[in-house]
Amino acid sequence: MSISRREFLQSTSAALIGLSFKGERPIAGSFVNDSFQQGHLLRDRASFPAPKQTLKVPVVIVGGGIAGLSAAWRLNKKGFHDFVLLEMNDQAGGNSRWGENEITAYPWAAHYVPVPGPKAVFVRALFEELGVLKNGQWEERYLCFAPQERLFLYGRWQNGIEPAIGLNEKDREQFQRLEDQIHQLRATGHFTVPMEAGFSDSTAALDRISFADWLREQRMDSKVLNWYMNYCCRDDYGATTDQTSAWAGIQYFASREPEEKGPLTWPEGNGWIVRRLLERVGKFVRTGQMVHRISHTTNGFSAFAGDIEYRAEFVIFAAPTLLGPYLIDGMPRLHDFEYSPWLTANLTLDRLPASYEGDPTWDSVFMESPTLGYVDATHQSLKTHVDRTVWTFYWAFADGLPPQNRQMLLDRDWKYWKEAILHDLERVHHDIRQCVSRIDIMRLGHAMARPTVGAIFSGERRKLANSHGQLLFANSDLSGFSIFEEAQYRGVTAADAVLHHLSGTKNRPAK
Amino acid sequence: MGILLFITVLLIAACGLIYELIAGTLASYLLGDSVLQFSTIIGCYLFAMGIGSALSRYIDRGLAYRFIWIELLLGVVGGFSSALLFIAFAYTQGFQLLMYATVIVIGILVGLEIPLLMRIVRSRYHFRDVVAHVLTFDYLGALGASLLFPILLVPYLGLVRSAIVFGMLNVAVALWSTFLFANQLARAQALRVICLVVLCGLGIGLAEAKHITTAAEDNIYADEIIFARDTRYQHIVLTRFKDDIRLFLNSHLQFSSRDEYRYHEALIHPGLSAIPVPRHVLVLGGGDGLAVREILKYPQVESITLVDLDPEMTRLFSTHPMLTALNQKSFSSTKVHIINADAFPWIDSSAASFDFIVIDFPDPTNYSLGKLYTTTFYKAVARHLSAQGLMVVQSTSPMFARDSYWCIAETIKNAGLKTYPYHVYVPSFGEWGFVIAGTHEYSPPATLPAGLRFVDAKGLPALFQFPPDMAPLPMAPNRLNDQVLVRLYDKDWKDISH
Repeated sequence: MSISRREFLQSTSAALIGLSFKGERPIAGSFVNDSFQQGHLLRDRASFPAPKQTLKVPVVIVGGGIAGLSAAWRLNKKGFHDFVLLEMNDQAGGNSRWGENEITAYPWAAHYVPVPGPKAVFVRALFEELGVLKNGQWEERYLCFAPQERLFLYGRWQNGIEPAIGLNEKDREQFQRLEDQIHQLRATGHFTVPMEAGFSDSTAALDRISFADWLREQRMDSKVLNWYMNYCCRDDYGATTDQTSAWAGIQYFASREPEEKGPLTWPEGNGWIVRRLLERVGKFVRTGQMVHRISHTTNGFSAFAGDIEYRAEFVIFAAPTLLGPYLIDGMPRLHDFEYSPWLTANLTLDRLPASYEGDPTWDSVFMESPTLGYVDATHQSLKTHVDRTVWTFYWAFADGLPPQNRQMLLDRDWKYWKEAILHDLERVHHDIRQCVSRIDIMRLGHAMARPTVGAIFSGERRKLANSHGQLLFANSDLSGFSIFEEAQYRGVTAADAVLHHLSGTKNRPAK
Repeated sequence: MGILLFITVLLIAACGLIYELIAGTLASYLLGDSVLQFSTIIGCYLFAMGIGSALSRYIDRGLAYRFIWIELLLGVVGGFSSALLFIAFAYTQGFQLLMYATVIVIGILVGLEIPLLMRIVRSRYHFRDVVAHVLTFDYLGALGASLLFPILLVPYLGLVRSAIVFGMLNVAVALWSTFLFANQLARAQALRVICLVVLCGLGIGLAEAKHITTAAEDNIYADEIIFARDTRYQHIVLTRFKDDIRLFLNSHLQFSSRDEYRYHEALIHPGLSAIPVPRHVLVLGGGDGLAVREILKYPQVESITLVDLDPEMTRLFSTHPMLTALNQKSFSSTKVHIINADAFPWIDSSAASFDFIVIDFPDPTNYSLGKLYTTTFYKAVARHLSAQGLMVVQSTSPMFARDSYWCIAETIKNAGLKTYPYHVYVPSFGEWGFVIAGTHEYSPPATLPAGLRFVDAKGLPALFQFPPDMAPLPMAPNRLNDQVLVRLYDKDWKDISH
């Protein structure tokens, strides 16, 4: 018990110091996981070493995000083990990377998967294998614990993110009308997850106008409704409603049936899924291996990473498709692929702010903020008492032009972004500076595909999405937007295409 | 000069007695058992006075100078004794040791006072008169003090400030003596400065007493709050009114010592007595040791594992004499293993199996506590039941929180267990409900341990009957991702208060 006495003395002296120094508490931190340097090497066509070693591998997967790992998972599952996965970063996972400190694991980007509907067969198969789905029941400990979400508006908190307080008659009527519209569009069966399952040319017109224009056409001008639509587009696409294709805006709402109280989430976000995938296919993954060139060979493709030439029959290109023209010999420049820059930060909190109010909630959003709010990494803990926690703070740069925002993201130093984040949080949590001891920041210049007007039905995109032959594209950006289910679908189907070809090759009589 | 001298005697006698009374009162309030506390404190004090008197013979020069220093010392030690002891009780393990040490130091100093004073004045009076007058005023001072203490000092000043006031009186006597015995002092001026400095110190102490004293002291007389502490996890308050001790966690009543036997007998015996050979028992929550006290009535039980979040709770109920009297020192039993951990992660990672599992958590007042009332939690607990195993769950009131009670029962059922809800009347709580659950059929036991005060085997089946106003209601189960229970509980209790 002498410890508790010591702790008492420590806390008393800390309190005394706190009284005598009203000054600021030091906050540590830095930029982490920067990878734009490698990307810029490719962009600037830097010279790479000539190969010293040639390895023959039937299948090479380029990129270790969800798409690449899912392709690996599928190949492995089907009994095919003769492949490698080349990942540029030291940690696989892409947008589902995670971190861990002495308090908890936490996500670096994607942090949940909505409860998959019946059409997401590959996601369901994966979750059955991982024990997330058992006999048709979702494992409760992976469903987001209550209370899930809250919104700060008009100086108070409400449950849920869709504004529900302070609505007038017009707002209510428009929310209701939108819900009815969405219901009808859902019933067409053309808005599905994965999107390919219901994809139809009959919806092409919706891709020719922006979501903001579509809302105007529907005479939905309620400010609150438009705020919410804009928030959803910023959250899923990193874009505002006037930069988003109406098709994508509708997809967000119409593709999911609200059935089970979800979503599925873990302390490290979708990093939990990456960990499980790596347990299965980690032995095929080579990290720190940046592919700098892919060239045709007589019977397939060669991928060059470092000083190794991987001679393959098949390449599954699961890295962001925008890298293709810089790597792949003879691939023309792309015009219809736009990406949103993002910033995520993990804040270590030594205590919850006194201004927290209410029960600890998973996701907190401020209405009057350009950011997306913060998610509590210890929310899925089974503990009843949590002293310290980590908040993952999300900020998509939706307003303005992506290239300029990207430049700003790179130009400004850590201190600037730290202050910007604290300033944003201070509008609701005035004592946040007294609670935070560390802020690590990750900058992603091309974080997510942006479904701009015309992007979904773009001929360029559809052609790459339906690629066949020995070079298969698999990134989620082929769907036009970056979500887990799309990445997994594209990875799995690319793997299936490779397996199909290979079985065909085997059956072919030898020449 | 005569009468002034004897008033000095009266004052120092009063001061001495007040310090003794304060120590005795403090010990009784904080530790209980006032007969023991007062007897030992008076004994120590008188014995120390004897030591002081004996030591006085070794002082042969500078009597007045030394007398003044003794008064100054008494003023400081006695004056701050109460504050010091409160702080020691609240923050250290060595309260009793420090208390007796303080009493002995004060006793020695007080024991020195009268013999020195008598010797200082002996040249002025006949020995016969010195003894008669000094002792007369000594006893008069004691009478005054013993009347003032309960009537004025404790109710209006409190223990901390009373001690400081009398400490200042001791210092005032020292100051006064510098004038009274000025002819016997070489450096009276320097002594006066010291006296004034000490007086100021005590004065500051008096002004700051509010900050020094804990909430417990301020309320010690009015509300009988005998213990109040913020731990890392909760706010613990113990109150006493006559023989009724009550425990509050975050201002929710946990038990009243007058009727807790009803609650704890009802919690343990209907389930535990139904198990043929119970060997290993698990208690989740229950840091007061009262459930363990009931479990120890079964000699077949070989081990009791108690998992409670707050080490301060289990320590308090292992060491505080008033509380160990209540739980019959149950935590001292060699069968008991205390684990201070968060129950859900603990049960999730443990591999042990138990014949009886007692789940005695605070009511689901928030989403954090609500996790301990979910299907996932009961499924995790059920994995630890042995083949003959049963669990019992404290399930709030089926009368005042009827929706909540039946929601808990439904949640346990939804975790794949057979449920047997029952209820009892506990005056300080009202109607209170429990649920026995297991993987096999349960029927109330035919015999119970001897010596129970409330539950008896004949009356057991009636506990499982619910009258219409508490009858079952169809409820959805409480899940981690959809905690209906917390919302129901909030609504149930709001309905009552409106």
